[in-house]
Amino acid sequence: MPDADGAWPSDTELLRRHVAGDAEAFGELFRRHRDRLWAVALRTVCDPEEAADALQDAMVSAFRRAGDFRGESAVTTWLHRIVVNASLDRLRRRAGRPAVSAGDEETFEALMTHEGDPARASDTRMDVDAALRILPPPQRAALVVVDMLGFSVADAAVILDISPGTVKSRCARARARLLPHVEHLKGNRTASESVSPAQGGETTL
Amino acid sequence: MTHPGTDVLAEFRAGLITGHRGDRIAAHLAGCEQCTAVDAQLAGLPALLAAIPPPAVPPNVAQRLDQVLAAEVAHRDEAERAPQHAPPRLAGASRRRIRRGFRLPSLRVLTPIAAAAAILAAGGYGLSQLSSGDTASSSAAAGSAASSVAVSTAPKAQALTPQGTAGNHQEQPISFVYLTSHTDFGPATLTRQLEEDLGEAPAAAGAVAVMPAAVRGCVAHVASGDSIIRVETARYQGQATTVIFTRNGQADRALITSPDCSGTSGHVVATRNLPAGISGP
Repeated sequence: MPDADGAWPSDTELLRRHVAGDAEAFGELFRRHRDRLWAVALRTVCDPEEAADALQDAMVSAFRRAGDFRGESAVTTWLHRIVVNASLDRLRRRAGRPAVSAGDEETFEALMTHEGDPARASDTRMDVDAALRILPPPQRAALVVVDMLGFSVADAAVILDISPGTVKSRCARARARLLPHVEHLKGNRTASESVSPAQGGETTL
Repeated sequence: MTHPGTDVLAEFRAGLITGHRGDRIAAHLAGCEQCTAVDAQLAGLPALLAAIPPPAVPPNVAQRLDQVLAAEVAHRDEAERAPQHAPPRLAGASRRRIRRGFRLPSLRVLTPIAAAAAILAAGGYGLSQLSSGDTASSSAAAGSAASSVAVSTAPKAQALTPQGTAGNHQEQPISFVYLTSHTDFGPATLTRQLEEDLGEAPAAAGAVAVMPAAVRGCVAHVASGDSIIRVETARYQGQATTVIFTRNGQADRALITSPDCSGTSGHVVATRNLPAGISGP
């Protein structure tokens, strides 16, 4: 809600109010970024149920650890970092169970189709979300944060807790792997087909 | 030079390949249409990905997040007012100071009199006494509880409020049944299981029992402020859980808590709204 003077409180202000005991501030802050945070969680763990758990873990963690926020990064960066950590934690915990693999693409697409409003879910989104699944989680997280959400390499380095060079390297590898799977989405058949399969990079899979 | 792979082109584009190797790739790109096309595709990929709108949070997930957040807020509120798990070294004077203004509903276990039955009444005392310096009302409450008699095993149990103690407090007295069952709830069948469970008298659904401290803490942790009608120790997806049934007007709701749920930890892992009135008035 806007303040008395009509201004919307900044993220930092909301977090400060939360730490000071305001019961509404954190909810407002979290709802402000919830869709983007959900996108990070969903695309990193590639499973709606796990993503919901990860986002919940992250929300509770951020709520409780808000006092630790030192303002060294933007509040959104801090929130995304917590969500990415919670998502990767979920994936690690799941590691003992049947692993994420390219063979699950159909199952995943079925899940994606099943949930939400089919009319709103674009084909592009489903295809990309399915394609993301072929990436190793660290590469996937980097690609989601940098290319899909538009964070700078420097911010992504904070979010992912890796060096900027590693962010670039993971993104580059992820793009190379993803390219053959999403190029058709551009509707640029001619360009796509002019590239020989040997150039597609599938061999690295 | 042979064609560089897509991964090499991607690293080159990201500025990760420099020096002689970079020069060679640049020279190759200048004379190779095929690789230039791949490079162009790589260049366009971030924009393609950025153009995909983030999926909206599904309504059920949003609802669950709101619920968990509300529990967190309530818990923090309560912790600030009455730190139930304050370290023992905390001086009594400090406790009293922190506790000032405490007015949240709290829970109380009354001594079970009828066979294997226990009723919990929130009469405005109980858990709060753990950090209370109000010794006069504490001892009065304990005395009344020990002599309470009216106990029922039915879900429609009457509220039990020891006379002369609840008058000091603002809350409406409520009561609920606590029981343990062998039900193993699951996400897919949860609503049906809960309805069946509620449709049965506690004696049929499971053993009515004395509520352990951890369960009491869990209830206070995740559902303080709610009107509680029933608490059940059961299983959810094979894991131990405390199921808390709450009532708000005509709407009943079941909260499934995480296995670690206690006075200091745990959260709601699933919630279900249930048809009004299924579990009695």
